[in-house]
Amino acid sequence: MSEMANTDPEGIDGVRMTWNVWPRTKVEASKCVIPLAACISPIRAHPDIPTLPYAPLRCKTCSAALNPFSRVDFTAKIWICPFCYQRNHFPPHYAAISETNLPGELYPQYTTLQYALPADSAAPQSLPSPVFVFVLDTCMIEEEMGYVKSALKRAIGLLPDNALVGFLSYGTQVQVHELGFSDLSKVYVFRGSKEISKEQVLEQLGLGVLGRRPGPVGGGYQPKGVQNGFPNAGVTRFLLPASDCEYTLNTLLDELQSDQWPVPPGNRSSRCTGVALSVAAGLLGACVPGTGARIVALVGGPCTEGPGAIVSKDLSEPVRSHKDLDKDAAPYFKKAIKFYDGLAKQLVSQGHVLDVFASALDQVGVAEMKVAIEKTGGLVVLAESFGHSVFKDSFKRVFEEGEQSLGLCFNGTLEINCSKDIKIQGVIGPCTSLEKKGPAVADTAIGEGNTTAWKMCGLDKSTCLTVFFDLSSSDQSNTPGAVNPQLYLQFLTSFQNPEGQMMLRVTTITRRWIDSTVSSEELVQGFDQETAAVVMARKTALKMETEESFDATRWLDRGLIRLCSKFGDYRKDDPSSFTLNPCFSLFPQFMFNLRRSQFVQVFNNSPDETAYFRMLLNRENITNAAVMIQPSLISYSFNSLPQPALLDVASIAADRILLLDSYFSIVIFHGMTIAQWRNMGYQNQPEHQAFAQLLQAPHDDTQSIIRDRFPVPRLVVCDQHGSQARFLLAKLNPSATYNNAHEMAAGSDVIFTDDVSLQVFFEHLQRLAVQS
Amino acid sequence: LDPKALPRPLSGDVEPKSLAQLYPMNCHPRFLRLTTGAIPSSQSLSSRWHLPLGAVVCPLAEPPDGEEVPIVNFGSAGIIRCRRCRTYVNPYVTFTDAGRKWRCNICALLNDVPGDYFAHLDATGRRIDLDQRPELTQGSVEFVAPTEYMVRPPMPPLYFFLIDVSISAVRSGMIEVVAQTIRSCLDELPGYPRTQIGFATFDSTIHFYNMKSSLTQPQMMVVSDLDDVFVPLPDDLLVNLSESRSVVETFLDSLPSMFQDNVNMESAFGPALKASLMLMSQLGGKLLIFQNTLPSLGVGRLKLRGDDLRVYGTDKEHPLRLPEDPFYKQMAAEFTKFQIGVDVYAFSDKYTDIASLGTLAKYTGGQVYYYPNFQSTIHGEKLRHELARDLTRETAWEAVMRIRCGKGVRFTSYHGNFMLRSTDLLALPAVDCDKAFAMQLSLEETLLTIQTVYFQVALLYTASCGERRIRVHTAAAPVVTDLGEMYRQADTGAVVTLLSRLAIEKTLSHKLEDARNSLQLRIVKALKEFRNLYAVQHRLGGKMIYPESLKFLPLYGLALCKSAPLRGGYADVSLDERCAAGHTMMTLPVKKLLKLLYPSLIRLDEYLLKAYAEADDFQSIENRLPLVAESLDSRGLYIFDDGFRYVLWFGRVLPPDIAKNLLGTDFAAELSKVTLCERDNEMSKKLMRILKKFRESDASYYQLCHLYTDKSSKIRSIEDIY
Ligand SMILES: [Zn+2]
Ligand SMILES: [Zn+2]
Repeated sequence: MSEMANTDPEGIDGVRMTWNVWPRTKVEASKCVIPLAACISPIRAHPDIPTLPYAPLRCKTCSAALNPFSRVDFTAKIWICPFCYQRNHFPPHYAAISETNLPGELYPQYTTLQYALPADSAAPQSLPSPVFVFVLDTCMIEEEMGYVKSALKRAIGLLPDNALVGFLSYGTQVQVHELGFSDLSKVYVFRGSKEISKEQVLEQLGLGVLGRRPGPVGGGYQPKGVQNGFPNAGVTRFLLPASDCEYTLNTLLDELQSDQWPVPPGNRSSRCTGVALSVAAGLLGACVPGTGARIVALVGGPCTEGPGAIVSKDLSEPVRSHKDLDKDAAPYFKKAIKFYDGLAKQLVSQGHVLDVFASALDQVGVAEMKVAIEKTGGLVVLAESFGHSVFKDSFKRVFEEGEQSLGLCFNGTLEINCSKDIKIQGVIGPCTSLEKKGPAVADTAIGEGNTTAWKMCGLDKSTCLTVFFDLSSSDQSNTPGAVNPQLYLQFLTSFQNPEGQMMLRVTTITRRWIDSTVSSEELVQGFDQETAAVVMARKTALKMETEESFDATRWLDRGLIRLCSKFGDYRKDDPSSFTLNPCFSLFPQFMFNLRRSQFVQVFNNSPDETAYFRMLLNRENITNAAVMIQPSLISYSFNSLPQPALLDVASIAADRILLLDSYFSIVIFHGMTIAQWRNMGYQNQPEHQAFAQLLQAPHDDTQSIIRDRFPVPRLVVCDQHGSQARFLLAKLNPSATYNNAHEMAAGSDVIFTDDVSLQVFFEHLQRLAVQS
Repeated sequence: LDPKALPRPLSGDVEPKSLAQLYPMNCHPRFLRLTTGAIPSSQSLSSRWHLPLGAVVCPLAEPPDGEEVPIVNFGSAGIIRCRRCRTYVNPYVTFTDAGRKWRCNICALLNDVPGDYFAHLDATGRRIDLDQRPELTQGSVEFVAPTEYMVRPPMPPLYFFLIDVSISAVRSGMIEVVAQTIRSCLDELPGYPRTQIGFATFDSTIHFYNMKSSLTQPQMMVVSDLDDVFVPLPDDLLVNLSESRSVVETFLDSLPSMFQDNVNMESAFGPALKASLMLMSQLGGKLLIFQNTLPSLGVGRLKLRGDDLRVYGTDKEHPLRLPEDPFYKQMAAEFTKFQIGVDVYAFSDKYTDIASLGTLAKYTGGQVYYYPNFQSTIHGEKLRHELARDLTRETAWEAVMRIRCGKGVRFTSYHGNFMLRSTDLLALPAVDCDKAFAMQLSLEETLLTIQTVYFQVALLYTASCGERRIRVHTAAAPVVTDLGEMYRQADTGAVVTLLSRLAIEKTLSHKLEDARNSLQLRIVKALKEFRNLYAVQHRLGGKMIYPESLKFLPLYGLALCKSAPLRGGYADVSLDERCAAGHTMMTLPVKKLLKLLYPSLIRLDEYLLKAYAEADDFQSIENRLPLVAESLDSRGLYIFDDGFRYVLWFGRVLPPDIAKNLLGTDFAAELSKVTLCERDNEMSKKLMRILKKFRESDASYYQLCHLYTDKSSKIRSIEDIY
């Protein structure tokens, strides 16, 4: 990897691939062990991406967009599509092009560019406002209610004036607040125990026959916009511009009480999250179908009432654990998943997003809701309390504008074009297959497959998708001269940006085919081990979710051994002769950490946490995802700059501060001596300014990490031997465990675990890789 | 029968006195009246009487000041009742065995006197503490009931209002009047500070109102799931009035404007009713329904009926007067079960199926108020007054009533608004002074051996103050062997009341004609029997004779046949009005019923012309005139008063200044379009004072003034005046 690649490994294109050079045949590809995959950040911001104020030219055969890789015949005014070799005529308004007068899309450096699509002809000047429907759980103690209310108030204050806002509260029942009713506060109440169809929601909100908008409702993803005033009475009744309803909402929140229905002792609150979300979806479906809108759910506990329930009300019955799921002893699980799957389908067809902000000590059902969040590209934050910064600061970030803005976009569609013989297996990440069939669709699907187009109801600057490719099994036209040595991939992402403008981003990339039967040298050089590790993690997580009794550890080990066998240098049956090319050398450690991570060792976590971790693993970029798998550790001490430390207990020292970033949490760990000095207050004495600076440094670095991260990580500040120290120890390589405690270095800690250490892991790997 | 030759009841109802003279310790007739003060000694005698044998009971009748029913608290002694027949101690029990035993006057059992109730007897065998024991000296007394008379803590007075807000309700102006009236009555609702209040409104959906005291304004909660209606909040839809007073006031102030632009034409009345039941079932109370649009959605929806002329006079006629959907009777049963009394206020300008709606009041001890084609400008005052009366009159809550009588006689049927809980227990979730109940009596044995029959009415209820009480009325009547005595002791008022109820009930299972015929037949038979009795004794010829006590019976009978529930056929009275009048007459106490049947007619012009000095001598205007055409002088101004409305009759040649003074410049206009109001002249003020005075004499209904001239064909033959 070059220096450049390290600072911005994704470049202008926002694409990272497991293999940057592709083997020619399906057989060769399968020998590579690590799948051919591309991790794309479809709308990642980059200062060098130009925006063109028109729609791109599309190939008349394969509809790929004109791109720098197209061959252009300037005299004939013809361009040749690199994907299908179709010759396309330029339209008359391109008549002036020449080698010296190129349109932006043909500039060689603009492999990624953006088109601002002309708005609907009907009302070009009015762009659709973003729509936010807040769905607030009211089964909470007063204190939590207070936190969540103030978070909500702040959020509403941050919304752009034209954003449309709706509000639902729920507990035993669902209350849809009619914000446009001026006489007094008015709610429509829905029973929480009963599944409710979209039609019933409309009927009961009085948006039925009278309110139904004319023209096609389902299917189309083109935003119809809020043209010529409001298309539907519901918009003026239930969805109001933030500037108009801020006061109403604040008053309403002030008077809003926690759910009033009595909870018998020994019971959970009756909480109908499922129906509440159904009603919110129905409301949005009636009012603003096809326009970017998000349901922002604030959930304080498990759904116990009606569809989507994850546990009974009886407190003596615990919420399902991974063990229960394993043993098929979670009676609510499948039904709830089915319910949320239906909700996801409805939301996707409407083009709307579900965000879930869950704050509770126990699980709330994120595992069940995952399908609806992920398929709509929703945000998810899991915290212990609405008063905790993980929720508070994350929630604020959603609504902030400017630098820190998440850049929430709506209504995205991704299309992929690729060279002949390349097949698309599917996508892992926050999207839904649009089931658009074509020759480029592979026979076997991974994740959202059977398509060349995907819907992303919600997407943002950091959204990342993993596309899995396969090669055509029919042996390619082996007539060497006719074969293009380059392969092409084109990613077209259309979306509604935060201002409501429809944009289309086009990224066209090319890579080289090589015949790996001749030499694997080039292949090796094109390996991106960080991406490969993340792709393996994502694939593992998917398999764990979808394949019954899938043994992740074994599968990963086997893959790693096969990879090492293929690409390692060794003499058969001689473990000590084993070496790995630097292009692969980090990969085994990634796998070692992945095996130990929350993604594989799920039994240490709840199904909600697992679902949460997996969703973020799937949607974050490679660098962040890599940190989730293999945390980074930085050591601070006197007389040296902060430096990376080995993720090993051996890195602990009494006179060091360690900063562990495992993505979901950041741990600042003070060595014993440091802690003692700090407790004695040396940092406050002028002569110990250096100590003060040493104490401060990890905090400053933490802040800069937190600033760019969503959800905001949990920060743990602890001391060696303190109770919180376990957050660090859990992530460290157990080079010193109680199995070999006698060998441990003075001052370091023992990790009480049965895990094998990295060293032992390597020994095994070497032995197995060289076996004939 | 020549009606014109009949004696006329120009003094209205006259309470019988002879029984009270015979048994001075009997309760006042305002509480209990027997159709005859002489109980037949045998079944054969009874069968020759032909008129109904029974009683009319108005347990909470308003006594004049100073005659309030005394309240007795037995304290630790507990309530003294007969061990066997559960009769309450009363003036007719006798003490023996030096005061240690008492004999039940109804079943003759000798009971022990509890130690705490013991008193020595004087030489005549009377208890020496008699003057401190109202229960032993007065026919009416109210006992404070100890906890064994409660199945739960006494409920607070609770008023729940269910208000139609569909477009027709909005347009009629009803909502505004209702809201204003309720608001103006808040201080006077009985039971402060325990009084509970709640509201729901409905059109095609049901709207509840969260009135929690901590809110600055009420919260409206809409439930649209009509198939599976539910309550949207566990508490705070029914609130303590004194705690939530300001929220309630805010609500009532904004209610009219909240719906002023409502264009909803539907009525989810049935579901709204179910919702009200759910809300109220925990406490019970009074449900006041304000209904304008025929129920059109959900359970209990009704359809137009009664406009098919062909069914009149056939077997299909009477079902029109019955509820169409069993839902209404089922709901009424549920309401009663949960101690909820229902009053129905109906306002529609179209058919609104009072037959069905009224069922709700009928079986819950409630009342039907019908204001056809209500318009607030015209009828507002009537609604205001009657609703205020409904809200502020003393009400007995979660009540049951039983009437006991001596051995050998038995009450066999009950007539009025209530639900019969067992064979003789009337469930009355909410009952008040304006409700009377009638019941029929029969002899259980061929021959009675006793000399006196005792009756005891006991109403167990919760007073608005939260005390559980038993109101007991006791009366005695002699057993006679002489039919003549039965006739002599007859009480026309009670007879007419009982006959009215029987006749109205008959219209629910028969044609109107049949009901009228059987009523007339009964009266004729009775008079014939009496005539035969005397014809034999006095050899009188074909001349019509009747006992003094029943001299007005033929005229009342005639009037009854011409009353709204029984009169004519299809075109004579609209179906809804007929049913509404029937419902009203089923609850009226004797006095009001007689006035309705034979209204008063009084000439006013002479009085109005009198100088101011003698103006307030109302005596001179209390001369009631016979309701015959000859009573009307076309130079005169008359007031006709049936207790429910006034008709001001302007003679054709009434001096124009009188008309002008009273009607202002409108005096020459079509009078049906003119409303009477006070004008700036003495004559107009005087008239208003008269109307006010008349109204004050009977507060239970508000008499709206209707103006007629003698050109209107409405009044020609006076005894046909309705
Ligand atoms: Zn093409
Ligand atoms: Zn007895």
